[in-house]
Amino acid sequence: MSRNRPDCADIEQDLIAAAVGEADPAARRRVEAHVARCAPCGGELRQYRAIDGALDTWRRASPPAAAVRRARKRLETELERLHRRTLAYRIFPSPLGNILIAVSDHGVSLLEYLGRARDLDRSRLAHLDLEAREDGAEIEKLYRELMEYLEGRRRRLEWPLDLRLARSDFHRAVLRITAGIPYGAVTSYAGVASALGRPAATRAVAQALRWNPVPIVVPCHRVIGASGALTGYAGNRVGLKERLLATEGIRIERADRELRVPREAMYVRTTDGGYYCLPSCSWLGRVRHPNRLVLFGSREGAEAAGLRPCGECRPDLHPLTA
Amino acid sequence: MGHQPFETIVEAHHGEIYRYLVRLTARTSEADDLSQETFLRAYRAYRSLSPDANVRAWLFTIATNLARNHFRSEKRRRRAHAAVRAARVEADSTSPDGETLFNEARNRVDGIVATLPLKQRAAFVLRKVHDLDYDAIARSLGCSAESARSHVFQALRKIRRGLADHAPARLELQP
Repeated sequence: MSRNRPDCADIEQDLIAAAVGEADPAARRRVEAHVARCAPCGGELRQYRAIDGALDTWRRASPPAAAVRRARKRLETELERLHRRTLAYRIFPSPLGNILIAVSDHGVSLLEYLGRARDLDRSRLAHLDLEAREDGAEIEKLYRELMEYLEGRRRRLEWPLDLRLARSDFHRAVLRITAGIPYGAVTSYAGVASALGRPAATRAVAQALRWNPVPIVVPCHRVIGASGALTGYAGNRVGLKERLLATEGIRIERADRELRVPREAMYVRTTDGGYYCLPSCSWLGRVRHPNRLVLFGSREGAEAAGLRPCGECRPDLHPLTA
Repeated sequence: MGHQPFETIVEAHHGEIYRYLVRLTARTSEADDLSQETFLRAYRAYRSLSPDANVRAWLFTIATNLARNHFRSEKRRRRAHAAVRAARVEADSTSPDGETLFNEARNRVDGIVATLPLKQRAAFVLRKVHDLDYDAIARSLGCSAESARSHVFQALRKIRRGLADHAPARLELQP
């Protein structure tokens, strides 16, 4: 210790502050007064000032440029990997219980019924090797559109989709075919398999739809059994399927404790896809697999899908009665 | 006002955060790992950051916390100090001038800085190299602005003594 006066310890903070240019005017005056009568502290002040010169070289010294570049490159690779694995999600209340919506940069990846749960514990996201990030604004807009849809005020959810959570390319192909089933219409698992060019793959289609990561958006609720039975939906939530179909104007009957769509009382889309007919139209008798056709619950639904009334059976003049 | 794309955050701040961590750890390999972890954590939390937050100070805070966790292992800390004392050269044939300058400076001040307790070292580097104000340093270190200033001054005290011991004549020659 070079100081030799009792007040030297008190001045030390001010001394350093003055040397590095951080002292207020009063502290500067205290330092000037002190060093005028204390030579060792004057020496220390000069040393502190000199340190700035020494620090200048140290401050400008930089790690090798190649090391910085290497670190940056490695970071960018890792960030890209993380980015691809990240989904943003939000959980919202809905008439169908809490619903989780998750999106990637490419589109909506997951829409999930959570029931009463309000966190990720019951979500598929918790069990996947993915980064889930709770996020807001963009998903809020999707939620508003979903609510309009569930309240019957919107017929389409034209959301970009990211089907990364589908389990295989076959499942993705099934989902793309299913996405084309119009609002207010139903078809059968066999109908989807047939449209896919794999008419024997009915069970595989059912399995693919069971794992549909984006229900409602890819309307797997519009796929029913060949008999008209609703069969299953999102595990054991067939009641949700009933509500979704009812919202779209599809009539549901309950018979023998089973929910079914009365296929015989629906309008039928012709195989060329341009017209809709009464179920009694003559061409239907020549169809080998009528259970694979697309059926509409109402004329409005068929016409909203761009179909015209058949000129032979004239469903426009002889509409079905409920 | 929304968030800038995260790529622009990397572009603007990666070099600085990396250099900060090199000074804290004294090893480019550890700075490499810690800077990567800093930005991966920042990426995960970025969207929940207030859009008008000071991103630079926030990144320094993350980096400082990671470095503190890293150095909690006394073994690692001792190894880092040994590396500084040995003034081990991490070869980089593409920029010999930068390397020479870097190692020369390390021999003088870095050797002293590396022996400082982490809080003093971080506060000193944040203040003297990265020009953060004491409030920002305080946030990074989880202390008051007054403590942050005290850490910097304590570091200066030790550096002055270290340099005076090493080259007393040179220091005294300065006006």
